[in-house]
Amino acid sequence: MSRRATCSSICRAIAGAIQRQRRRKAGLLDVVRLRESFARVAMHGDEVPLFFYSDLFIKHPEVRELFPVSMAAQRGHLVDALVKIVSQADKVDDLTAFLQGLGRDHRKFGAVAEHYEAVGASLLATLVHFSGPAWTPELAADWQAAYELIGSVMTAAAAADEQLRPPWWRGTVVAHEQRAFDVSVLLVRPEPRMSYLPGQSVAIESPSRPRLWRYYSMANAPRPDGLLEFHIRLIDGGAVSMALTSSTIADTELRLGPPVGALTLSEPLSGRDLLLVAGSTGLAPLKAILDQVAAVQQPPKVHLFFGARNADGLYDLDSLDKMAAQHPWLTVTPAVSANSTFAGETGSLPDVVTRHGDWSGHDAYLAGPTEMVQETVARLASAGMAPDQIHIEDFGWSEP
Amino acid sequence: MERALTIAWYDEQNRLTPEELQTVTFPLSRLGRRGYEEERVRGFLRLVHGELVRLVNERASLWQEVQRLRQRILAGAADGDPQAVLFGEADAHIHAVRILSTAQVTADRYVADAQAYSSRVTEEARLRRDHIMQEAQQHSDILLEDAHARAREAAVSALTLPPPPQTDRERQAAQAELAYLRTYGDVYRAHLRAYTEGVLRGIEEWERKEAVSFQEAARGHADQRSIGR
Repeated sequence: MSRRATCSSICRAIAGAIQRQRRRKAGLLDVVRLRESFARVAMHGDEVPLFFYSDLFIKHPEVRELFPVSMAAQRGHLVDALVKIVSQADKVDDLTAFLQGLGRDHRKFGAVAEHYEAVGASLLATLVHFSGPAWTPELAADWQAAYELIGSVMTAAAAADEQLRPPWWRGTVVAHEQRAFDVSVLLVRPEPRMSYLPGQSVAIESPSRPRLWRYYSMANAPRPDGLLEFHIRLIDGGAVSMALTSSTIADTELRLGPPVGALTLSEPLSGRDLLLVAGSTGLAPLKAILDQVAAVQQPPKVHLFFGARNADGLYDLDSLDKMAAQHPWLTVTPAVSANSTFAGETGSLPDVVTRHGDWSGHDAYLAGPTEMVQETVARLASAGMAPDQIHIEDFGWSEP
Repeated sequence: MERALTIAWYDEQNRLTPEELQTVTFPLSRLGRRGYEEERVRGFLRLVHGELVRLVNERASLWQEVQRLRQRILAGAADGDPQAVLFGEADAHIHAVRILSTAQVTADRYVADAQAYSSRVTEEARLRRDHIMQEAQQHSDILLEDAHARAREAAVSALTLPPPPQTDRERQAAQAELAYLRTYGDVYRAHLRAYTEGVLRGIEEWERKEAVSFQEAARGHADQRSIGR
């Protein structure tokens, strides 16, 4: 009852913000003028976000600790977000959805309502600085109004999210197993318990790499003990993957962001059989989906292709073979791309999958290195698979 | 240059200059009359001279500061915001922003360098490991083939001839070598793992220290800020 009440009040706040935006769009806010002004400022490149963050940190030193040591990637994120906001300033619905996501996403970084004011002031100072003589009172009013809108949508979404879940979960590593030279499997206990859909991911922050978050998929469906399994591949130079595959990771307390992602089974099931294609640790979300299928009354037939560079990289084949022996509806085909003496399938995953016949009547779920996923999607599409039968996630496994 | 200017300004005003103090002479008092001791007078004049030089210079630099501020007020009035320019707070803030930006870019470069370095180290370790594994594999393949051939030979000769007295020792030696080479691969793998982990630990330690010093620097900044208030 109380939750419904809060929800509706927040919905009203968001609707009010959108209405105000519509009013402004009709009258005060000049989108063309904003875009011209932004283009002028953006000419200064990396200097702009550099100035913005320095200004922010000088005026509010306490905000600095919310950011990583290196700000290079952060500056890119800021500019990307600003570009998106300015270019979509006249598409209210798209922009609102983007900003709501941004507001929810920032909860795990420790952003609170007061920060929005500080950020707005520094944003304005940055625009003034780089606009030079082109800065006018009208522009100041436009930007002020635009930022107020951005801030109100983001904070409203964050406040609504606050009623539903914590900003982040504490995740204790209860087991760490090195499966291959560069692949570790972690078992993590989240507190409080986390509910999610099989195939979803969370952003993970390791205490030894503060303020660096990387997405990893849960490799199991929610289970009675609430534990989450993650498959971590060590990426050369990858700060977070290096910390997470370290042998000292056991008992460490990680931070987990909220579950996100749409690489999930349609509900109810489509009735079609499933094709799962996993490259390396892209196996994780698909294994969670396998868990889910195993619990269904009449499971569809599932064919899982699991590929790696060499046999060492097939780090979870034992457990997959066990599952296949247990479940008659499951077929597992391992494939290796860089070793021709491997006893099973050899060649790239797109080749191996295509060789195995016609998949056009299946629902396909793919995860793994971006190139492999894109190539396989292209092959499946050209072999007649409809776009709504192909499911992929566009982040996570290739990120360092 | 500065001094010459100020003295010229002084001359114009018909004022006493430090030079005049150095060159001033007084007529001697007539014999038998009381007079000041000449050296004492000279010493005092030197003191006055020093003080006068200081005052002239101070005055000149204050005059220049007045000129500078006057110009800034004029320039600020043209910009429509004389106050900000007069007090220079905006300038100081921009200056601080620049300093912090430079420091941030330096930090970014350190992190990027460390990441590139760790990337290179892990990549090399990976290649070395692949190479060692491949070598060990080939070694054991050859050995296995050799053992198979010997076994076949032994089987044939066992059927045809009584076994020569040395066969047992030879077989034992071959088995020992086989066992040795099997462990060879394992041992190298363990060494390589330890080496890689050592390197990773070093990098972790390094990054941790840098993060700590960065936080300390940030804290130092915050402290200064609160004192300034």
